[in-house]
Amino acid sequence: MLLFLQSLMNGLLLGGIYAAYSAGFSLIFGVMGVINIFHGEMVMLGAFLTYWLFTLFHVDPFLTLPLSFFSLFLLGYLVQRFVIHRVVDAPPMISYILTFGIHLIIAYTALWVWTADFRTVTTSYSGWNADLGGVIIPYARLATFGLALAVVAGLYFLLNKTEAGRAIQATAQDEELARLMGVNITQTFALTFGLGAAITGVAGSLISTYFVIFPQMGLPYTIIAFCVVVLGGMGYVPGALWGGLILGVVQSLTATYLNAGLSGALTFILLFIVLIVRPAGIAGKGIVD
Amino acid sequence: MGLKRGVSFGAILLCCLIVSTHGIASGQQKFRIGYADPLTGTFGRDGNLVKDAYNFWAELINAKGGIEVKGKRYPVELTVIDDKSNAAENAKFTEKLITEDKVDLILGGFGSDSVFAGSAVAEKYKYPLISGAASSDKLFERGFKYYFSTLGKATEEVRGCVDIVQILSPKPRTGAIIGSDILFTSLAAEGYKKYAVQDGIEIVHFELFPITLQDYNSILVKVKQKNPDLLFVGSHLMVAMKTVQGMKEIDFSPKMVAFSYGPTVPDFIKNLGKDSEYVVAASEWAPNLPYQDPLFGTAREFNENYYKKYGRYPDYVEAASAAGAYALQAAVQKLGITPPVKEEDRVRLMEELHRQHLMTFYGVVKFGADGANEAHPPVAVQVQNGKLVNVFPKEAAEAVPWYPMKPWKER
Repeated sequence: MLLFLQSLMNGLLLGGIYAAYSAGFSLIFGVMGVINIFHGEMVMLGAFLTYWLFTLFHVDPFLTLPLSFFSLFLLGYLVQRFVIHRVVDAPPMISYILTFGIHLIIAYTALWVWTADFRTVTTSYSGWNADLGGVIIPYARLATFGLALAVVAGLYFLLNKTEAGRAIQATAQDEELARLMGVNITQTFALTFGLGAAITGVAGSLISTYFVIFPQMGLPYTIIAFCVVVLGGMGYVPGALWGGLILGVVQSLTATYLNAGLSGALTFILLFIVLIVRPAGIAGKGIVD
Repeated sequence: MGLKRGVSFGAILLCCLIVSTHGIASGQQKFRIGYADPLTGTFGRDGNLVKDAYNFWAELINAKGGIEVKGKRYPVELTVIDDKSNAAENAKFTEKLITEDKVDLILGGFGSDSVFAGSAVAEKYKYPLISGAASSDKLFERGFKYYFSTLGKATEEVRGCVDIVQILSPKPRTGAIIGSDILFTSLAAEGYKKYAVQDGIEIVHFELFPITLQDYNSILVKVKQKNPDLLFVGSHLMVAMKTVQGMKEIDFSPKMVAFSYGPTVPDFIKNLGKDSEYVVAASEWAPNLPYQDPLFGTAREFNENYYKKYGRYPDYVEAASAAGAYALQAAVQKLGITPPVKEEDRVRLMEELHRQHLMTFYGVVKFGADGANEAHPPVAVQVQNGKLVNVFPKEAAEAVPWYPMKPWKER
């Protein structure tokens, strides 16, 4: 029983990590319909930002979060404004190719500058955990879980209760009509992309405190984010939380009770089933066509 | 007329220039040596170690004017091609080096998968290939004549890590084995099992997982539940780092944890800091061993000179790679082979390598009929106070093993 509870806890925490770095992917897809292939590179950049600040200036990883947020926001904003915006109305294939190209540029530039070394951010409190009647809860992962909840709640609030959020939603629903209503589409898209990048960068910063980081780590993160978003519903931001949690729990229970090798296979089987049975995601609120 | 004469004169001058420069080029004969090696991708870090080792050897030999054959010196020119941690690419680039670049000799890169593919091409073109960074048993089971390795076989490489239980007190009784599912690490896992059984250790858990696995906590929770005295991990650097991080996160403290590869790479201690203490790792070389040769000097001198050049101490794979290049050099010198190296020279070279019994700073290099280095005792090292120290076998040990491992909560 204890093993089950521990495995469930691991799964929920892992799910929180998945959700934290997938929410931005969902937001960007939902508003612009862009499948962002360099999503994983934004996780990597956030992680490296924290790594360098920690290594060179001994800044606590948690204190680097605001900087990670603003740096990635700026990157996302500029890339959308000056590069991706040019292909927003082109067929999806063009945006795949473009974002794939950006993925290669960032990953290989990082490789060139930082080399292929594996790095970790090991603080004096790395690996600290709470013992809840035998169930171990690592604090750093709990913090990421908290971030995932905060991000989803924050995005929900932003999208529904603020002027900018309503502009984003209106743009997502009908670009032409939003434009007629006076929404600055270019600005809205850039803001959305910046926001998606910013929360992804923050997730990357947190991830650096318990995962090994290296310049070419990005692609698996993009793939997981894609799975999470399909499970939770394409473009439905709170769905990232559901998708992440389901994926995390399924993978953890599989690794504990069956075989760790099967957890990857099961991820894709799950994805396949959801696409057939519930194409709008578990919550049924995603974009289908 | 004047113009015509001028053109003719110019043409003659040009011809003279070409002939003379060609003369200069052929006067500066050198050994062109190539290898395909992962410089990026999953094994990029490890592959760069091998590159550093070969460069270290080449610079040392070139500083003396090159390899001395029959009283004359021939410099070494190294060419490396990045196989991006992809075995198929390694085969392709090895073939390119041989057929297009027409290199005189080749060397082995990092990792069993890459070397497995590359050495098949080398065998086809009769190029002896010595590797110092690949040791999967399969490499030696193909009946190849041109493949050599300064390392022992993967299953035997981990013997020191297991046999160390003979000197531990109180003697451990149970062990768990996990490892990533690629060639080298899965063989290391088999090796652990083989020697653990011989040492009377009961294996309570055995599992291989995909190398792409992102989160290790769930699998480690399962192992923790079975409460083994020892944890053996079939690993490369990243797997080893992730395992230690995961063990700490879920508070799993067996009495000893051992890795097949990873902790000897300098990044391991640098990244994990105090969390790397007590970790045991397989090794085939340590700088305190009493070996030496005329080029590199003693094992300790190799270690110090390496530090002077790169600002870090070498891993055993780097020692093994440098020793491999040295073994090739020694065979070339003995046979009096000069560049350009022809096919019949390479056949003689292969035969010589099979006969060779060479003392090096890395230990004796003596290739068996299957190409594996027979003369090499596996050792176990442990991280103690931020340094790797040789703890087994007892005759070669610098320190007694720290045992049992201090639980995470008490550190």
